[in-house]
Amino acid sequence: MRFRRYVLLLTVLLVSLFLLTVQTRGGGPTRAADLIALIVTPAQSLLASAHRGALGAWHTFTDWKAVRTENLALRADNERLRVQSLQVRETDQENQRLRRLLALRDRVPLRTLTGEIIGREGGGWARSLTVNRGRADGITQQMPVIVPEGLVGRVAQVRSGASVVQLLNDPTSTVGAVVQRTRTPGLVEGEPGGGVRFKFMARDGTGVTAGDLIVTSGLGTLFPKGIPVGRVTAIEDKGSALFHFAVVAPVVDFARLDEVLLLTGQSAQDFAGLFTPDG
Amino acid sequence: MRLSLLLMAFGGSLVQSSVVPSWSVGGVTPDLPLIVTALIALRRGPEAGCLVGFAVGLLQDATGGGLLGVQALSRALAGFAMGLLPARIWVGHPLVQIPGLMLLTVAEGILRFGLLQLFHFPASVGDVLVHVILPQALYNGFVGAACVLAVEAAHVISRRQTWI
Repeated sequence: MRFRRYVLLLTVLLVSLFLLTVQTRGGGPTRAADLIALIVTPAQSLLASAHRGALGAWHTFTDWKAVRTENLALRADNERLRVQSLQVRETDQENQRLRRLLALRDRVPLRTLTGEIIGREGGGWARSLTVNRGRADGITQQMPVIVPEGLVGRVAQVRSGASVVQLLNDPTSTVGAVVQRTRTPGLVEGEPGGGVRFKFMARDGTGVTAGDLIVTSGLGTLFPKGIPVGRVTAIEDKGSALFHFAVVAPVVDFARLDEVLLLTGQSAQDFAGLFTPDG
Repeated sequence: MRLSLLLMAFGGSLVQSSVVPSWSVGGVTPDLPLIVTALIALRRGPEAGCLVGFAVGLLQDATGGGLLGVQALSRALAGFAMGLLPARIWVGHPLVQIPGLMLLTVAEGILRFGLLQLFHFPASVGDVLVHVILPQALYNGFVGAACVLAVEAAHVISRRQTWI
């Protein structure tokens, strides 16, 4: 057994040495090498192509995984950037609003306080806003509330840290006003439907037409004179009545208010020049 | 049995020339045919180790484009030597097999270098040792460990199936 083992080893060594000797004598690849390569090469190329295929599939899989991961990351980035963009836009709009409010505050010859809207009441029974300014800020009832476009309403209730502002279109709201062009006096009143009317307008020779601007009259010392209230959109004439009235579109879009200015003093000055059509 | 040995030798050589190059780390690849030879020699003895070593060496010589017989000779000797070890020392544990495989790689490399020196191989033994033999021995150790674990797992599975 042991003898056979060493015979085998010797044979193998001799064959190897024979091959080496033949090659060195011949000076190039032998026929034996050619023969072995002839058998091995097809299997080798088959295995190599299988390996390439497997490697390709693996690369496709890893690429797909990478693309998927990248896609998820990009989606997250996209979402984050969209939110960021919205935040920037929101901040920009807020900045513009506050700049306009600040400019108005500088123009108004009264002590003013800016207030942020923290609540809204929009049902048919009452239309109001809650502002984050209260008793501690020196807010009192009936204070006029304005924005760069015009009149918002008046403070109806004062609490410790907040105030409720009655809007112009509240059904119980009444504001003494005049048609700016004709100086025709009347009362601007809110309606349950959300509209605003200019009532008790004398019938004779007023000449009020659609598009006329209605401003506060300044009578009664509640609202300073000349604050824009709305524009006439239609005249309703009942014919037999002593007065007729105008349908008014408020200059302020109450639904889109975020900040307001509360006027904490009184002034006899006409405010008309302080307000521009674009706020 | 012989057919399976032949297939392992043939498969190991083919994988070495087609698949293993893609496992290259810093230009070093494991020597899969040598690992196959060593594992077969440890389990089947010096005759099987010698024959498998000769076969894989011959295939590698033929496919590698070198002198036909150099690797056949070195691997046959390495397989034979490895096959003699179980009778002399305890090699049943992977902690013995893996360093043994690394030493075998070094020994086979030096033997191959010695044979090539007969044919005026130009590189120095230091260069070959540092850049080829030792890194490959290390790599062979890792791959050999994986192969040993795979073989052990295959044995466990085959035993379970026999009981069922």
